[in-house]
Amino acid sequence: MSYLLTEDQQLVQKNARDFAMQYLEPLAVQLDKTGEFPAEAVKKMASYDFLGWFLPTEFGGADFGYLSYVLGVEELSRASAAVASIVVNHSSAAYAINRWGSAEQKKKYLPALARGEKLGAVAMSEPGPGVGQGPEAVIATQQGGGYALNGRKSYVANAGVADVYVVFGCTDAAAGAKSLAAFLVNAKAEGLEVGPKKSTMGLRARPTADVGFHNVAAEVLGTVEGGAAIAAEVLAAFAVAEAAQTVGVVGVAVQHAAKYAQQRVQFGRPISTFQAIQTMLAEVNTNCYVARLAVYDAAALIEQGKPFTTEAAMVKLFAQRLGMNSLLETLQIEGGYGYSEEMLMSKLFRDVSGTTILESPLEFPEQVIAASIG
Amino acid sequence: MILTPEQQEIQRLAREFAEKYIIPVAGEYDRTGEFPEFIIEAAKKADLLAMGIPKQFGGRDLDAVTQGVILEELGYGCAGFATILGVNGLGYYAPLLVGTEEQKKLYFAPIVQGGLSAFALTEPGAGSDVSAGKSTAKKVGDEYILNGSKCFITSGAYAKMFTIFALTDPSKGLKGLSAFIVKGGSPGLIVTKHENKLGIRGSNTVELVMQDLQVPASQLLGKEGDGMRIAMACLDMARPMVGSQSVGIAQRALDECLKYFSIKYPDPRKLGQAAQFKLADMRIQIEAARQTVRHALAVKDAGLPITVDSAIAKTMGSDTAMRVTTEALALLGAFGYSHECVVEKLVRDAKIQQLYEGTNQVQRLVIAGQLIASIQPKTATAKAGR
Repeated sequence: MSYLLTEDQQLVQKNARDFAMQYLEPLAVQLDKTGEFPAEAVKKMASYDFLGWFLPTEFGGADFGYLSYVLGVEELSRASAAVASIVVNHSSAAYAINRWGSAEQKKKYLPALARGEKLGAVAMSEPGPGVGQGPEAVIATQQGGGYALNGRKSYVANAGVADVYVVFGCTDAAAGAKSLAAFLVNAKAEGLEVGPKKSTMGLRARPTADVGFHNVAAEVLGTVEGGAAIAAEVLAAFAVAEAAQTVGVVGVAVQHAAKYAQQRVQFGRPISTFQAIQTMLAEVNTNCYVARLAVYDAAALIEQGKPFTTEAAMVKLFAQRLGMNSLLETLQIEGGYGYSEEMLMSKLFRDVSGTTILESPLEFPEQVIAASIG
Repeated sequence: MILTPEQQEIQRLAREFAEKYIIPVAGEYDRTGEFPEFIIEAAKKADLLAMGIPKQFGGRDLDAVTQGVILEELGYGCAGFATILGVNGLGYYAPLLVGTEEQKKLYFAPIVQGGLSAFALTEPGAGSDVSAGKSTAKKVGDEYILNGSKCFITSGAYAKMFTIFALTDPSKGLKGLSAFIVKGGSPGLIVTKHENKLGIRGSNTVELVMQDLQVPASQLLGKEGDGMRIAMACLDMARPMVGSQSVGIAQRALDECLKYFSIKYPDPRKLGQAAQFKLADMRIQIEAARQTVRHALAVKDAGLPITVDSAIAKTMGSDTAMRVTTEALALLGAFGYSHECVVEKLVRDAKIQQLYEGTNQVQRLVIAGQLIASIQPKTATAKAGR
């Protein structure tokens, strides 16, 4: 893959890897145990520009492009998928503001987000069967010059630590998701209520909670009419970064399992010499390699400003299969030892379950893919 | 296979037991990793400790199919609890199979009175490869002196009775392996480590060290050198039970999906085709696994050789539990991933089913070994497998 990456991209990758290995990895187990928000790590990442990787320099970003960002996310995920997930959720909000914000909104929000002084979050999922469909759907009504939001978003990542939320709400309750628009909401706005932190299987250091809105003042991001397209693109870009997390975790897991297999002797030889084990390792590593290429390709499209939603959907679909299936195999290789809570593999297993199934606002990538063929 | 009215009644009672004693507290024991000691007393009252012990020793003498039906219901409630009661069965299979009248009395009495039993075969260097075991049993006078270590022993810190394997003649390898009855709490039988596991966290898993552990010669099961044969026969019986509890895990995952959709969708008929097909696939796989497992147990009840059917049942059951629970997790998304929902626990509990009582790779070796043996030229004598 390296021949496709520029020297700059390789440098970003290396910097992220160094930080991940030297700083994050020693913290990761403790973060998983306590589930505490890694405020220090976030500050540290901010000082390395990791929170504004692809944002323009004029707003304080590093302007490295989306592919570099995805390379960085993959490296962070190799040490802590939870920390990487905080960065991804933050960056997706920043992506939306950078792409559709007015000059004024960009100036107001981006520099603080790029420098990591403020964190972002994207609020999409709702308790109902789909966005805009349940009794608690977030509905935006015009009020004065702006909008007021009412309703509830569920399982919002970075909830409670975010300073600014990109919230998708419906401007017409009867029309439901067809009237989806994007809004910017200040976390301190009156009527915004963050629910209790959810306890999760993995990605434990990343806060997740419901967010309730009771007449919360919101400003429109982009246009009300263009809301559905904004949602589709934000979530597609999000899915690519999320897939990079899965690739990062699977990459670590397969290396760990291969090393274990070389050391574990049964029947008088390392189990890595058995075809049954080789088959499992080869399958996982091949899928990981293919997924990585697809992730990089989709990220390059985003960086170049080309259409990418179909590619993102395919990346998401493929990564969904890659994550859980791979960890089931690598954990199988490490047997009863890998099943111990104190071993890395069980943590990776819990984490990847999250990177593969969460943030599924792009709930049905198959539909996007099927419709694109022809 | 259609269950008899008696079996259906026992199934109903087991389901009630799971709903009353297991489901309300399973999440808490999963979180803390503490051993649910109360379950021993509750299981004794419900007569779930001595399911396979003959009536003359105070047991219930249930057939294998019925025991499997019970294990499925317990697995539905919590695989950690099911493991405690399932491995209890594995512990007493050896005396059941080869024990003398005296040995059976000795072993079964504490179980019938409300104690657990345990099975100690695995060692740190000897998992799939039993032949790498190093524990020894040296005959001195009318005693055997056992030394060595065992790992991943279920209920090891709580069991009243153990079946322990050790080499009476290390020079003979597996042919020198023997099985012993050992009382829990014997001096020289030391618990050294409690495993903190990804799943089945309510069950107790420990490392044991045997330090000059004295065992009366009368507690040797079978003859010296019978150990491997006994161990394999015990595992043949235990593996379909793993399949049974796995089917229970899978059924629970499907039921949780249905519960979720019934709450989330005011009109569940509006559920998309993709989700509908996934639910249908779960149902298909669960039913196929359930029947495969019950068939293996029926083969056992008919007194026929069970080794291959047992391996198939274990693999089919546990692979199904893994597929169905991960599919359920994907369907339930962020809700399923949170501790508000039991599905993430089901995924963690399902994983060990593919690992313990012989990994699914070992099961495939058993199954393939028999297939290869069936096509060998008549003159060939080489052992197939591996």
